[in-house]
Amino acid sequence: AAGMAAPTMEERKACWGARDEFWQCMDSHGDDAAKCEKLRRAFESRCPQQWVKHFDKRRDFLKYKKKLETEGYRPPEAAGKS
Amino acid sequence: PEAPGLPLRQRLAVAGAVAAAAAAGWLYLRQQKERQRRSRRLRDLRALALGRGDFQLRDTAGAARSKADFLGRWVLLYFGFTHCPDVCPEELEKLGRAVELLERDAALPPLQPLFVTVDPERDDAAALARYLRDFHPRLVGLTGTPEQVRAAAAAFRVYVSAGPRDADGDYVVDHSVLTFLVDPDGLCRDCYGRSRTAEELARSVRAHMDAYEPLPP
Repeated sequence: AAGMAAPTMEERKACWGARDEFWQCMDSHGDDAAKCEKLRRAFESRCPQQWVKHFDKRRDFLKYKKKLETEGYRPPEAAGKS
Repeated sequence: PEAPGLPLRQRLAVAGAVAAAAAAGWLYLRQQKERQRRSRRLRDLRALALGRGDFQLRDTAGAARSKADFLGRWVLLYFGFTHCPDVCPEELEKLGRAVELLERDAALPPLQPLFVTVDPERDDAAALARYLRDFHPRLVGLTGTPEQVRAAAAAFRVYVSAGPRDADGDYVVDHSVLTFLVDPDGLCRDCYGRSRTAEELARSVRAHMDAYEPLPP
């Protein structure tokens, strides 16, 4: 098996905790990343880079989903199409 | 001279009997409908024949395991990988809790929790053993060559797609998130997605076990 070992249960929980703290900060600061830099760095240090990417995508998805639930679906405007 | 018709007591008795018969009839029809729904679903699953093909894999002790090794037992099977960010640990916890709930009932047949990796390149026997230690004690982990793993996933129509590697060679594997219930004849009876809770899993497995009839020889 190539590369590093998979995170242990303790490492997973530490990563998830750092992620949750970062997300809570973002939630309370309207997604202003500048206000949550320290927690972002902690999050990135506790989680494998692949997981950081995965969780970033997940957060985008959850926000999009919430937007759909509250605002409804608005198809993207396509210029020049009927 | 008596009033025409039956006295009140007898009329009540007749009304009561009619009501009871109607209720019994309604309950019977509802039960029939449920039975038909279950048998239709079973027919669909049989037609799909998920997991009918054999698999050739290895457990964490290095021993060869095939489908035949698990016949005669109910199996709850999950496909995942050890480098999984969140979904696999959650699903395995859920699977373990469902098995625990059912273990409490000594009258039920034994249920074998099973994990098959979709990342054979990294998940060798040692990696699997390390990972599965944190979950149900009877959880068996299987790995193999990429071809063997691909065949096993294909038999259950499980989508597997390894993502691009980063600078450290790390990657995630995108895959269907499903827990399969396989009966003692090796047939898939049901599959459960992320939205089902451990309690719902246990309830469903129990219902399948209660309704199970072995295939005729």
